[in-house]
Amino acid sequence: MRSVWWVSSLLPFIVVGLVSGSVYGLAAMGLVLTYKTTGVFNFAHGAVATGAAYLFFELQSRQGVPWPIALVLTVALIAGLGGPLMELVGRRLRQVPVATQVVATVGMLLAIQGIVVAIFGAAAMSFPAFLSTRTVRLPGVYVGVDQIVVFAVAALLAIALFVFFRRSRVGLSMQAVVDNPDLVGLGGNNPVRVRTIAWTIGLGTAALSGVLLGPSVGLNAPLLTLLVVQAFGAAAVGGFTSLPLVYAGGLLLGVLAAGVTKYGPGHQFLQGVPSSLPFVFLLGVMLLAPRRLAQRPVRARLPAVTPRPLPRWLRTGGPIAAIALAAAVPALVGSRLPLFSSGAAYVVLFVSLALLVRTSGQTSLCHAGFAAVGASSFSHLAHGAGLPWAVALLVAGLVAVPVGALVAVPAIRLSGLYLALATFGFGVLLQQLVYRTRFMFGRNGPLTVPRPSGLDGDVAFYYVVLTVAVLACVLVTVLTRQRLGRLLRALADSPLALGAQGVDVNVTRVIVFCVSAFLAAIAGALLAALSGSVDVAPFDPFRSLLYLAVLAVAGAGQLRAPVVAALLFAVLPAYLAGSNAVATYEPVAFGVGAIVVALVEGSRDEIVAVVRRGAERGRARLARGPAAARMVGAR
Amino acid sequence: MKPGLELRGVSAGYAGTTVLRDVSLTVPAGSVVALLGPNGAGKTTLLNVASGVLAADAGTVWLADADVTAEASYRRAARGLCHVPEGRGIFPSLTVRQNIALHVAPRDEQVAISLAVDAFPVLGRRLGQLAGTLSGGEQQMLALTAARVRRPEVVLLDEVSTGLAPQVIDEIFAFLASLAAAGASLLVVEQYVARALALADYVYILRNGGVAFVGEPAELTDESVFAAYLGTTTTVPVGA
Amino acid sequence: MSAPGLSISSLVVRYGGLVAVDDVSLTVPPGRVTGLIGPNGAGKTSLFNACSGLVRPTAGRIWLDGRDITSLPFARRPQLGLGRTFQRMELFDSLSVRQNVELGREGALAGSSAWRQLVARRSERALIAEAADEALATCGLRAYADLPAGALSTGNRRLVELARVLAGGFRLLLLDEPSSGLDDRESERFGAILTEVAHGRDIGILLVEHHMELVLQVCDYLYVLDFGRLLFEGTPDEAVASEVVRAAYLGTAA
Repeated sequence: MRSVWWVSSLLPFIVVGLVSGSVYGLAAMGLVLTYKTTGVFNFAHGAVATGAAYLFFELQSRQGVPWPIALVLTVALIAGLGGPLMELVGRRLRQVPVATQVVATVGMLLAIQGIVVAIFGAAAMSFPAFLSTRTVRLPGVYVGVDQIVVFAVAALLAIALFVFFRRSRVGLSMQAVVDNPDLVGLGGNNPVRVRTIAWTIGLGTAALSGVLLGPSVGLNAPLLTLLVVQAFGAAAVGGFTSLPLVYAGGLLLGVLAAGVTKYGPGHQFLQGVPSSLPFVFLLGVMLLAPRRLAQRPVRARLPAVTPRPLPRWLRTGGPIAAIALAAAVPALVGSRLPLFSSGAAYVVLFVSLALLVRTSGQTSLCHAGFAAVGASSFSHLAHGAGLPWAVALLVAGLVAVPVGALVAVPAIRLSGLYLALATFGFGVLLQQLVYRTRFMFGRNGPLTVPRPSGLDGDVAFYYVVLTVAVLACVLVTVLTRQRLGRLLRALADSPLALGAQGVDVNVTRVIVFCVSAFLAAIAGALLAALSGSVDVAPFDPFRSLLYLAVLAVAGAGQLRAPVVAALLFAVLPAYLAGSNAVATYEPVAFGVGAIVVALVEGSRDEIVAVVRRGAERGRARLARGPAAARMVGAR
Repeated sequence: MKPGLELRGVSAGYAGTTVLRDVSLTVPAGSVVALLGPNGAGKTTLLNVASGVLAADAGTVWLADADVTAEASYRRAARGLCHVPEGRGIFPSLTVRQNIALHVAPRDEQVAISLAVDAFPVLGRRLGQLAGTLSGGEQQMLALTAARVRRPEVVLLDEVSTGLAPQVIDEIFAFLASLAAAGASLLVVEQYVARALALADYVYILRNGGVAFVGEPAELTDESVFAAYLGTTTTVPVGA
Repeated sequence: MSAPGLSISSLVVRYGGLVAVDDVSLTVPPGRVTGLIGPNGAGKTSLFNACSGLVRPTAGRIWLDGRDITSLPFARRPQLGLGRTFQRMELFDSLSVRQNVELGREGALAGSSAWRQLVARRSERALIAEAADEALATCGLRAYADLPAGALSTGNRRLVELARVLAGGFRLLLLDEPSSGLDDRESERFGAILTEVAHGRDIGILLVEHHMELVLQVCDYLYVLDFGRLLFEGTPDEAVASEVVRAAYLGTAA
């Protein structure tokens, strides 16, 4: 009878898994349907769910609206207003490179999550159950009525969505848009309407999944967002294409995660597994999938907009003046000096990120992970092993190099969106599976991180960090002025052409990821040393998204943008009133900023096209000579 | 003559490349115009501009008496323009029936299917099959059904015979002839020059993005068509 | 197969059920411009991609200067002297024209070694600058050297791509529809450069081209493909006179 016991002890977990899996599956179907129809992958899908959960909470719990009305209102409001809005945004995003698309939807994620935190606070709140939690006995297991309802609602909607997609006229048009958008227009169906409906449905599934998951998860913005990010894993199971497989993927992930939860507590390693499973799937599918998935459709580029070269005096004078100013900072800012120390450390981080995403055109959404590796290794080396401070710093950077090389593996196979997803997944995996091991932060509270002996005063340490920041800038400048820089810029423009000249571009990609990881790790170590002790919180994977948004807002320039980004991110908020309000709205501001930057880029192409068209008209008018007149006459 | 479709002084191209330069072309209502020229001359670009898949950089596009230059392709389609694009103009992941249904309002689906099957009986046995699994010839027939079931006034056909067996090509050209006989205006881009000329009332030859010849098929000897293709002579007369 | 230049023997490229290239053999000797023409879908680009390593051939062998390169990786082939351009023009749009052209030589020098990708040897600098200067001069691009490649007209962009492979010092060039988007005057100038390069520098050129005027102007020898098969080979004059070629282009019964 042992097997019966085994089954009955597992059943409750299977039930839990099926319930949450059903919701993941529905959310993932909405995500995939939108992505396939509109061509824009919505990183903010999970954040929309979070927003919906809080909105529902506000309506139902605080305003006393009956739950069915609150539910309909929430979903209708988000989907009905969001759908047309997203079509307006998405239309422009289809024109920009995938990296910019990622920036825009990541910005949206940050903005939505930031607004939620600003209104409701960052602390998790309990989400009162709005469905009956009474249990009924099914064969072998007690099941809550709420569980049955949630599962059934999600499952029925998933089926309805599938039937709608396969049978209805609009659904047919959506599939047709996937096959060939131009042909849909030629066939007399309005692609704008089709895409608007797709956005509406996608946002609707996200909103609903947020409300359905809310009671079991509680009101916790990052956690809810991450949960719906599970949808990425389910979407990967369906190859980002097949809706039934996507739903099945959701169920599978839900059940597996619940199963691991059962066995997790006994095994230290397994504890992070439930929430990392989707990313294991995500990475697995993307790395093992046939080439088809990995390839991004080639998009014609409009002529690049050339940045105006700075005058010579500014090019050489600028950095010198900046260093001089930075050296004078301790005399100018008084007690706010630690802000500037952290600013200097962030310069290193943003220099590293800019090298990767700007100069070489790769995407990385796991920079917080690199920094975490640096910070924890540095503590082990300098505090634990007692290595000299500078040596420990250097070695901590080197420890991250193989990690960078590991992230370069997806970069070899993937590009654009899939690379962004893979690196984000890698960051989450690192957090879930490795952060808490003894190789990194362990489980015994914050790690001690020393400052260099004799230079541990705030002023002295500021100069230490500043020196490292300057060295990092010099290193990147030297590297990018060498052959590597030319190869990286060429790589950003056309890997194909670079390969055709005989360059093994995979080697180039590994190099740039290694250099970038090295610098990011050093930045992490510096930040840790600044605060004296360090734990996992500052290295949350969502931080990586924030970094990307900040860099996007900071403008152009290989060194200028990182410096501006560091000032914006680490220093400026404290100066703006220094109140909590500013800190609260900071991610919102960067999120909105990132969206605006992406939209301006999307519209810049439009502007260029309009200008080109104008020039063409003018030229045609001038050229229309006797020959054209004869043509008209001949008709 | 009343124009079915007219392009006036159109220039167009893709991302920095200008393909068409100041091209004017008229398809008189109810007539067949063959659009010939070597590969890369800009024929497909011209059809794309006519149907709204590609915006013109300069010039205007007219359907009947309406300036449709600023209209999206689905609006032009609603005005009675049908573009059967290069390659296979079908949705491979939909069934044959769904492909046909997408061309008409839902209430007209049954009529559309019977019209399509009348035109190409072989499709009648394939209605439930995914379009992507049809043979090349059947796919092309399916793409062409749009030109019948939507009852368009102007049909643009882009190399609809490419890569098909001779019997299939015969069947397709018979279909085109029936469209013309029913009063539709056709603009036909075709690799098989002789067949296109046999069907056409007027001929345009494009070369390097400009019109190299306008006239009637009878004015073209085989030799001069070939010359225009190969560019061995530049003395082809301009104007009819 | 120790003949200099590029030799293809019995090449077959199949995608699923579709046979794109069907048992084609051809040779591209140094010092000549060899043309490869044929209607749309004849298999020209597939053949090109098989030669440069973007597509793995189903059967057959490809030799470069007597060395079997059939299964070498993409980046290895340029290192052995095989350069190519792309129909869609793959330029480094944000770099200057000079930097684009320099990367032709620099890429070959960087190769697959991490160290050599990081830094250039001092002696290589002069080599790169010299190769770029010469290529820019040959293609008449000196005046545009400091402009970003993305800002140039199509005609000049085609020339930049050509200059880049010329600077690369490749022994054999695959040019994929280099004249598309050029007007008559530009393509004539392009043709003159090709002739000079092939005959003057003993470089072998395989030219896929739709623009027959250019083909007839520059090619020493022509291969005609149709439905993946070799339909005809001979001199341009023979091709113009050939009934088979005429049938392939005009569709009159062959």
